[in-house]
Amino acid sequence: MADRERETGSMENSNSSAGQALGPNSATDTALFGQIRGSDPGTDADSYMPVPKKPGIHNESGVETAEEAVEPAEPDINELCRDMFDKMAVFLQGELTATCEDYKLVENMNKLTSLKYMEMKDISINISRNLKDLNQKYAGLQPYLDQISQIEEQVTALEQAAYKLDTYSKKLEAKFKKLEKR
Amino acid sequence: MASPEPQPRFGQSVKGLLSEKVSACSGDVIALTRQVLKGSRSQELLGQAARNMVMQEDTILHSEDSLRKMAIITTHLQYQQEAIQKNVEHSKNLQDQLKHLLK
Repeated sequence: MADRERETGSMENSNSSAGQALGPNSATDTALFGQIRGSDPGTDADSYMPVPKKPGIHNESGVETAEEAVEPAEPDINELCRDMFDKMAVFLQGELTATCEDYKLVENMNKLTSLKYMEMKDISINISRNLKDLNQKYAGLQPYLDQISQIEEQVTALEQAAYKLDTYSKKLEAKFKKLEKR
Repeated sequence: MASPEPQPRFGQSVKGLLSEKVSACSGDVIALTRQVLKGSRSQELLGQAARNMVMQEDTILHSEDSLRKMAIITTHLQYQQEAIQKNVEHSKNLQDQLKHLLK
């Protein structure tokens, strides 16, 4: 009876200290493992062999005990954590890279457009310079153009004179023929 | 935005709670990133900018074409001006001759 009370107390102690290394001589042994033969552990230590005991087992004294379900420790937890954070960083990097690529696209389009406008600017500058030179040269041609206008007036006057001369010569010819007939 | 905190359930191990918390935090980070990107409206603004630029491209090419044609026409005008210059220098003699004729 005293042994069983001792066993219950040790079981209660073991409930609060789960995860302790279990050894054949630890205090939790009597809590977790029953005894094969039911003999006193203090007297029969040589033939002691631990046997797993189901949790929630009712003790003979009426106290229900429960044992925390302990999962086996995962190997390389650090490696897994590192892997998780690396993948998270890659995912976030990808999310941000999409926007970066959009910006790069618009930047490239802007650069190409600015190059196009620079070419058009050079062409416009050339056209402007050429047209200024042309205007100056045409301004230099103005006296010649005035001379051409004068020449045209003089030619018109010459033509009138030629017509008058032609008319006068025809009159003369007619008079001469009349005089010749007389 | 944040996912609700997992309620501790009896019988659930500390490790299970921890893994739930970690997954919730990672989900929160992802949702936060997406919300920040969505709130900045960068996607739609940049898309609209790209579309406008594509629409303008045709006009820009047409303008460039017109400028090149204008440059060619200017070159032709220069050639014509040089020919006129050469021929106009004979008008002096012609005018003297006409003056003599009309005297």
